[in-house]
Amino acid sequence: MMAQMGFYINVAECVGCKTCTVACKDKNDLEVGRNFRRVYDFQEGSYPKPSIYHVSLSCNHCDEPGCMQGCPTGAMFKRPEDGVVLVDHNKCVGCRYCEWNCPYGAPQYSEELGKMTKCDTCIDLREKGEDPVCVSSCIMRAIEFGPIDELRAKYGTVNDMKGMPSASITKPNIVIHS
Amino acid sequence: ENNIGIAETDGEGIWKTAACWHNCGSRCLNKVLIKDGVVIRQKTDDTHKDSPDFPQQRGCLRGRSQRHQVFNADRLKYPMRRKNWKPGGGKKELRGKDQWVRLSWDEALDIVATETKRIIGKYGNESIMVTGGDANIRNAMSAIGGFSACYGSSSWGAWRWIWENMGIGEGLIVNGINDRIDLRNSQLIVLWGANPAWSTMGSVTYNYLQAKKAGARFITIDPIYTDSAHVFDADWIPVRPGTDDALAFGIMYTLLDEDDPAANPLVKWDFLDKYTIGFDEAHMPEGADPKDNLKDYILGTYDNQPKTPEWASEICGVEPTKIRELAREIGGTERVALLTAWAPARIANGEGWVQAFSALGMMTGQMGGSGKMTGVSCWEYAGNMGPFLLTAGGKGLPSITNPIDNLINENEMWDAVLNGKFLQRYEKERNVNIQFIYHNYENHLQTRSNIAKGIKAHHKVEFVVTNAYALTTNAKYSDIVLPVATQWETAGAVKGGNREILINWSKIIEPLYESKTDQEIAEALLKKLGKDPKEVFPITAEQQYFNQLAGSMVMKENGVDYEPLCTITAQDIKEWGVEGTPQKGRITLKEFVDTGIYQVPRKAGDNFGFIAYKDFIDDPEANPVSSESGKFEIYCKAINELSKTAYSEIAPIPKYEVKVHGYEATFEDWESRKKGKYPYQMINPHYLRRSHSTLDNVPQLREAWPNPVYISRKDADEKGIKDGDTVLLSNEYAKSLRPAAVVETIMPGVIGLPHGAWVDIDEKTGIDRGGADNLFVPHIPKGLGSSGFNTARVNFEKWKGEPLEEDVKWEQRIIKF
Repeated sequence: MMAQMGFYINVAECVGCKTCTVACKDKNDLEVGRNFRRVYDFQEGSYPKPSIYHVSLSCNHCDEPGCMQGCPTGAMFKRPEDGVVLVDHNKCVGCRYCEWNCPYGAPQYSEELGKMTKCDTCIDLREKGEDPVCVSSCIMRAIEFGPIDELRAKYGTVNDMKGMPSASITKPNIVIHS
Repeated sequence: ENNIGIAETDGEGIWKTAACWHNCGSRCLNKVLIKDGVVIRQKTDDTHKDSPDFPQQRGCLRGRSQRHQVFNADRLKYPMRRKNWKPGGGKKELRGKDQWVRLSWDEALDIVATETKRIIGKYGNESIMVTGGDANIRNAMSAIGGFSACYGSSSWGAWRWIWENMGIGEGLIVNGINDRIDLRNSQLIVLWGANPAWSTMGSVTYNYLQAKKAGARFITIDPIYTDSAHVFDADWIPVRPGTDDALAFGIMYTLLDEDDPAANPLVKWDFLDKYTIGFDEAHMPEGADPKDNLKDYILGTYDNQPKTPEWASEICGVEPTKIRELAREIGGTERVALLTAWAPARIANGEGWVQAFSALGMMTGQMGGSGKMTGVSCWEYAGNMGPFLLTAGGKGLPSITNPIDNLINENEMWDAVLNGKFLQRYEKERNVNIQFIYHNYENHLQTRSNIAKGIKAHHKVEFVVTNAYALTTNAKYSDIVLPVATQWETAGAVKGGNREILINWSKIIEPLYESKTDQEIAEALLKKLGKDPKEVFPITAEQQYFNQLAGSMVMKENGVDYEPLCTITAQDIKEWGVEGTPQKGRITLKEFVDTGIYQVPRKAGDNFGFIAYKDFIDDPEANPVSSESGKFEIYCKAINELSKTAYSEIAPIPKYEVKVHGYEATFEDWESRKKGKYPYQMINPHYLRRSHSTLDNVPQLREAWPNPVYISRKDADEKGIKDGDTVLLSNEYAKSLRPAAVVETIMPGVIGLPHGAWVDIDEKTGIDRGGADNLFVPHIPKGLGSSGFNTARVNFEKWKGEPLEEDVKWEQRIIKF
């Protein structure tokens, strides 16, 4: 197996513009309502000392993906070569159990296909040597993608924060800098 | 030129650079992948490796949504007229609610030409008002005898007409701050009413972040705790809208009060002495009353009102201790960047703020040195000024003079239509009988003050025409709407952005449906009016694009001289089918057009650095600034003189002035502090769902940015309003509904209604559902004619009717015939 891949999200430098969400929509031709990457806005403290932050999340390609565990047909699977979680449309029946079981809201149901869809880390672009579009679109350069071990060595091992589901549920391959 | 672009690596399609033409305050690289004639995907700059010194020009969510704008379901497909239109107007009151009838181009142009001739015959060319900056219709109308034009301070606010006389830059025409690499030398960066994270996408916020990483500390002075404040980890000083001048005076008072040239030098007396006039009695220009100097005004020597922090605090809402701290920080730090955007000046009676802000920079000597700067930092040049390293060539079209010289201030344009008179600035009142409004390119009924009055004006005139690609507010209230092609459907153009780049975009698709380009519409109209279009448009659109490319220049490594950007061969000229002369340049024409961008790499110590006003600081006699005295004019007689024949008098020195519809106007009685009918101040921040009003109709942007009204938790609690509740906003001009975003990040007493949402009036109740900010902005010109966009007042309450549905679920404005 090649290295497990994951995302690094620099919450401290994210302005919450949602360019990543929209670039991902463009790349994957997602209609309104379907978002492989979402930005969640948070507010803390009170006037005149408030704080705000935004967390950009797609699929965290977890070590113990909730979506896989809840999938009755085995359509959700972890690609052996890099640990990317994918959905096999030949097996998916669109029952949406995965949606219930993923704490991050990563699986997104397609009305048109009647099946689940989700972030595939832009596999096609990566095969051409490019980054996923969320990474290459970020105007603050606040998202990185790579072997999770390398990201952890570079940025630490924090994989959740206030406002996010506990990392203990699915062991996400994400590094958060807040 | 059909071979433009770069093949996708797998050969599946061609990447071309596409127009991202909006006035969003940025300019980024937008590329589209075309396969079998269809645009299937977009991307942004990947033309070189990204680094802080040499950043990619990454576009934002709006640019990435461009194909959903161009191919939007609500694109206007055909020329159309209002059903109840008749020559002379017909049922004019139905404008905005009538049905539409499809026309052929021939029918539509016949109507426009016939009405144009009839109106000119009956009322004269003065009765035509053309809005919008695009030259095509303006030139066509000029060629047939002219039109009444409009002008306004738009985004600049009070900076618009006074900077030159003061001897300073306003941030667009003349640079007032240093370049981005030098910004990293600032120790303290004060963002005064500037939120690059929302107002200038692209690399600006990232550039600022490099200054933070180099050690700069940030302070933001703003009614809102912004995303910029968040990423720069700034100290936030909330200030009431339109009272920044009071805060500046409180700071300046503290500087004078605590200054000790030996022990605590806060005021840079040498700087004031050498480079400015008007600060104190000893430095007044000849002929001026010596008592009318800034120092004595601040100290209250003659008006008995020292502008103490306590005095300032009453007005601006910043605690006196905080004002003193701020003064010590700004006066006591060696290298400070005092950066303001235009927003605090986008107020009525705002000239005094521009004067006061500038005087503060002069008093503290924060101008003309490395890491020291005082000025405007916004729009495409935010945080990064200096001579352009690249410039675009001209199109080569003749300039056509408008024979009519009526210039109507945008705060008077609707009154001029309704009441038949306006002030010809610096002259006197004139009569005018506007009977024909031609909206060309922009969306004035939406983006200028007091939409309700604008709608009334549209109900009055005999004829309204709009060129548009969707049913904008302008189009909605028109008689005839001509479907215009977007800039993805036109020949191509070269466009500058920040000083380090030049972008050129090419044609992506043929005009959709029956749409025509702006130039084609103008040409067809001229023909119908019996004019030879060649007089106005002697060259083709392709030739204009080529001329821009051929004339594009790039600065040489020496940082002084320029050379042509493109090498052009005789073969190129032949292939393009244009007229031209071969030339030698830095890159081939093909490379520039295929790549769509050229960017000059930067690094510290290169020859492209820039320190604003350095020549003047080094040798003020040899390099005077643009003012009458050649020095920075804290006392500026010229502004005072100009204002006497404008809208209200402006003092020659900065003075605190109560703003029409400003903070004081939220009280019924200021002395007893009894609040009035409209007790809240409203501001309209730029919003990432759209660029001004453009793109507001794109569903996926509506999904990403829902357009609430921002209300402080304290104010919302008092009214029993919870996050998400529908709120009714009202003042004497209009009523509007919006969902509330209850936040801790806006100053209590201030309401934030994002700028540019398309007005959507419920004809039964007269209440707008869109949250159009300019419904609430008064139509009152002040000073030299500035608009008061950020000084408006409102009340709000919980809406008891049907709650608003999310904007993204609204039906699109799709015309069905």
